[in-house]
Amino acid sequence: MMNQLQKNETYKRKIAFRNTAIVVGCAALLLLSFIISMNTGYTKLPPSDTLRTLFGGGTARENLILFDFRLPRIVVSILVGAGLALSGCIIQGVTKNALADPGLLGINAGAGLMVILYVLFFGAHSFLSVFTLPFLALFGAGITAGIIYVLAFKKGKGIAPLRLILTGVAVQAGLSSLTTVLVVKLADTQFDFVATWQAGSIWASNWKFVLALLPWLLLLIPYVLSKSRVLDVLNLGDDVAHSLGATVERERRRLLAASVALAASCVAVSGSISFVGLIAPHLARRLVGPRHRILLPICALAGAVLVSAADTIARMVAQPAGIPTGIMVAIIGAPYFLYLLAKSRY
Amino acid sequence: MRPTSSIFWQKADTNERMMNLNSIATENLAVVYEDNLVVNGLNMQIPQGKITAIIGPNGCGKSTVLKTVGRILKPKNGMVYLNGDDIRRLTTKEVAQKMAILPQSPQAPAGLTVGELVAYGRFPYQRGLDKLKPEDNKIIAWALEVTKLTELETTTVDNLSGGQRQRVWIAMALAQQTDLILLDEPTTYLDLSYQLEVLELLYRLNREQGRTIVMVLHDLNLAARFADYMVAIRCGNIICHGVPEEIMTTKVLRETFRIDAKIVTEPRTGRPTCISYDLIKENEPRPYMKEGAK
Repeated sequence: MMNQLQKNETYKRKIAFRNTAIVVGCAALLLLSFIISMNTGYTKLPPSDTLRTLFGGGTARENLILFDFRLPRIVVSILVGAGLALSGCIIQGVTKNALADPGLLGINAGAGLMVILYVLFFGAHSFLSVFTLPFLALFGAGITAGIIYVLAFKKGKGIAPLRLILTGVAVQAGLSSLTTVLVVKLADTQFDFVATWQAGSIWASNWKFVLALLPWLLLLIPYVLSKSRVLDVLNLGDDVAHSLGATVERERRRLLAASVALAASCVAVSGSISFVGLIAPHLARRLVGPRHRILLPICALAGAVLVSAADTIARMVAQPAGIPTGIMVAIIGAPYFLYLLAKSRY
Repeated sequence: MRPTSSIFWQKADTNERMMNLNSIATENLAVVYEDNLVVNGLNMQIPQGKITAIIGPNGCGKSTVLKTVGRILKPKNGMVYLNGDDIRRLTTKEVAQKMAILPQSPQAPAGLTVGELVAYGRFPYQRGLDKLKPEDNKIIAWALEVTKLTELETTTVDNLSGGQRQRVWIAMALAQQTDLILLDEPTTYLDLSYQLEVLELLYRLNREQGRTIVMVLHDLNLAARFADYMVAIRCGNIICHGVPEEIMTTKVLRETFRIDAKIVTEPRTGRPTCISYDLIKENEPRPYMKEGAK
């Protein structure tokens, strides 16, 4: 018996060590992607020059390229990746459905519609847009998510995860068609803006975007991490969660709201990048299992690596214009997802 | 198997003092489920420190009653008392420290290990970002030991047999350290030997630690064999309640299940057993029945 206890202890220590190693590995991968990304772009900056510029010894031109063009874009891609991945992880946990992603709560569609309405009325280049966009996107996504929640709510039974997903798909389809109708009415410059936004380009990122996104993430990520145990318990099914003393419907509502806010603020800045919220949680779950205390951080790291790597590749393969990051993520993500589907049991 | 740590002894002491109380009482309970009035005016008492089995035909409301008592469903009317307290006055975490309820065939997320699932049983005692304290770990280790799962602690739940899996969920409920455990058909989908394994575990928990067990059971004979107290329900109403000898009668089973049952005392357990039964259809000869059989 004692022997068995020791064996279990050893195993648990091994797992803890492995998890630490995975965190370190992911962080290293992120750093690597960061470094490669700094060196990638239309203008070639050799690593030595990059390093020199980074520490303040660059020419004006090098400074401009690195600090004003590349770094903000890299930072945005990392933040957006982490935010979308967390959002997806929460939705998958709350709905107990591994195929759920932020798009299903109407976030992309709702935010997209708002962005188009905004562009339609105020033009693509008004001064306020960078900071108003997150709010607008959040507003649109919030309303859409609210509608979906109300439609999926059944008195006395709360939200059945499956109904939530089906309602989400339906509402999203409706909003997308409305968006298409509006797109037709746009002027050329407006259309360009919207089309790039929809393709998920981290368009012309500058530090303003980082500033617009950062407060949201600083607020939401700690909140979500503090809810990791609630997510664990919700994952056991509503009845067991009740039995363990979770206020199921209230927690689910709060977590969904946090997830919507995360995804909407990211999508507002990055444009509609799908697949990250779907794939990063899968990847993370395969690495560290279903406990959210470790799953959420790994998921955020995986998302950050995924989007920043996709953004780097997008800049590498098609210069000077580059492929929108969202499309690159989909190009990388779709085959991996199909592979997961083929391997999984559902 | 009795743990030596003081916390467990305390539990046993309180149990003895409260032996005569009802663990659960419902008063005029009415429950609506999917627009149907499933339960109406139910007054049920569950004795403390005993094993109670709720029996009844499919759709008679037994699971609904269990879920309402376990505050998963909200009653339309009436009251549920937990150890004499109105359950609505307690926070859900307070309830979770007094009562655990296991639904029918719960699902564990893929990749979760036995130890991790059992650790979730500590949820009602944790706040914010707390990690498991040494005391929590002691309780988890004890729950694993009682359910004979120590060797499987690091195995993932997906890789277990049905009987083992059910034991893991029971271990989780044990880690919740409640005096009262409700189970909705804990033996469903299990082979004969696994059914017995689960019921014997519950029996031991009751006899050795004085935990009150309430379970919905399909199998009448297993119910009569393990329960101290039985409640027969039909259409959300109690037909009869009492010791197994009072419930396992031709009359009560006729009323509850609309069957004509033949009851004998099982020599090995001394409990009443239904050895054969028939649907009630008057004056219709059964081709497979012996001439003159009653």
